[in-house]
Amino acid sequence: MDSEILKIHEAYRQGSHTCAGLIAGRIGELEKSSHNSVNFLLKDMAMEMASAADDRIRSGTGLRALEGIPFGIKDVYMLQGINASGSSGILKNYKAPYTATAIRKLLDAGAIPLAKENCDCFGHGSSNENSYFGPVRNALDEDLVPGGSSGGSAVNVAKGFTTFSIGGDTGGSIRQPSGYNRVYGLKPTYGRISRYGLMAYASSTDCVGPISRSLEDIRLLLNIMSGKDARDQTTFEPAFIPGDIFSDDPNTRKIRIGYYRNFIESDNLDGKIRSDFIRLLNVLKDNGNEVEELEFFDDKLLVSAYYVLAMAETASNLARLDGSVYGERVAGESIRDQYALTRSENLTGETRKRIVGGNQVLAHGYAEDIYQKARSLRKMITGSFSRDFRRVGIILSPVTPNTPPPLGSSLKNPMVMYLSDAYTVGFSLGGLPTLSAPLGTGTGIQITAEKNGEESILKFAKYLKDIL
Amino acid sequence: MEKLMPLELLSNIRGARPSPDVGKLFMIIKDALPGNDVADHEEISGDLYVPLEDLRDDEVIESSSMEKEIIKENFPERKNDYLVVSTVIEEI
Repeated sequence: MDSEILKIHEAYRQGSHTCAGLIAGRIGELEKSSHNSVNFLLKDMAMEMASAADDRIRSGTGLRALEGIPFGIKDVYMLQGINASGSSGILKNYKAPYTATAIRKLLDAGAIPLAKENCDCFGHGSSNENSYFGPVRNALDEDLVPGGSSGGSAVNVAKGFTTFSIGGDTGGSIRQPSGYNRVYGLKPTYGRISRYGLMAYASSTDCVGPISRSLEDIRLLLNIMSGKDARDQTTFEPAFIPGDIFSDDPNTRKIRIGYYRNFIESDNLDGKIRSDFIRLLNVLKDNGNEVEELEFFDDKLLVSAYYVLAMAETASNLARLDGSVYGERVAGESIRDQYALTRSENLTGETRKRIVGGNQVLAHGYAEDIYQKARSLRKMITGSFSRDFRRVGIILSPVTPNTPPPLGSSLKNPMVMYLSDAYTVGFSLGGLPTLSAPLGTGTGIQITAEKNGEESILKFAKYLKDIL
Repeated sequence: MEKLMPLELLSNIRGARPSPDVGKLFMIIKDALPGNDVADHEEISGDLYVPLEDLRDDEVIESSSMEKEIIKENFPERKNDYLVVSTVIEEI
């Protein structure tokens, strides 16, 4: 099984690379890059850690699981003493007082952070154009958006600047940019990885997840970051996923595959993505898999329900950004003036729009008709998944309805941007694990299993890679 | 109009008004009729919520000295080594 992490470790052992040399090279590439994928480059910290890693390698004390592996961190995570801006103006000078649990586990395993990566402000966007630091450019075509909100992270992985990056996924923010940049991106089961130290967008769907060019590395990283954390009470302790899941298993051909008919018949879906997806289903049938058509909710209804709930949650989560105890402050004549001036002048247009939308749906007169209806729909989605996974082992869908749009177009037509999440938000509302794999269609394929089914997903992704 | 006025205050954003794009999104779910788009779907509470018996007891965790120092550094305004708090004017 291909693992970039293991290849780097082999080079360290053979002495063909030093860690300092590798890290200096990657930092040099990031400095020269025109993709605008980085908010803060951690050059001094990374070089110091690389030197310590070389000492460790030379001493023969053995390599930790991620010893000397360069990685990127979406700029919504806390890394003690380092800027944590959320790609916003209001936190542009904010320093993280502590380190996020998931990031702490990676550091303890020896990984070296290279950069805090550009993203949509507080995760608010699907094109990575809503950033105080400016738009990110797609790894494959600089005139196109990279997707979002974890656009900088997906680009850095696709360009080979980082061996892996840690994104955040609320409604598709890891999967959609992974699809647009042709890399693997996993949104784990809700609660599998601690959210402690992740800036909250919509707490009930926020997930921490890895982006990588290697399936094996996704497995390694998932094992390292997973587990119960007293600081995030939604976490649970999942079983370790062993490395031998990638060996050939004839039973994979017996897995029953489901797909949503209405996703494929949607007017919103690009014709080429549709035909590629149908071709993929036929390849699976030719290999002996049974493929079953399933019914799901209308894609526009899913997007509507998701945004209603996400906006309501973000309006509450971001109420803390008022300039009182951290972040930028614009003085006013009263404390109420200060709040309003600080937020009006320092939050981006899309973020202001989502906060206002969130307060709108929670207000009297809207809550009953909109917010409560979205909550009810979410329960029905959970019921629908529960029923579907009694019939099939894996559900496949396109990652996105369309290929990445040109830079600037999403800003002119936000509805198109919201609808680019049509195939990812349902799985987020259900809390299910789902992988975006660069296979099958131009923006990849989304592989979903029931809760805690990451092992099945990774195993199936390897099978799919082999037969396509 | 009466319902829209508090948005500016609720959001603490000057001139806050509902967005037409977001309004279109909201209308989709508002107009979805039970028994039509959502027919044949049962409601299941799911297990996204943490059971009461699984909640840990409240615990006070002392911050490290470095954490305390960074929290002070992050304070928006300082004068002569004091942290300057916001102006509060009581409104009747």
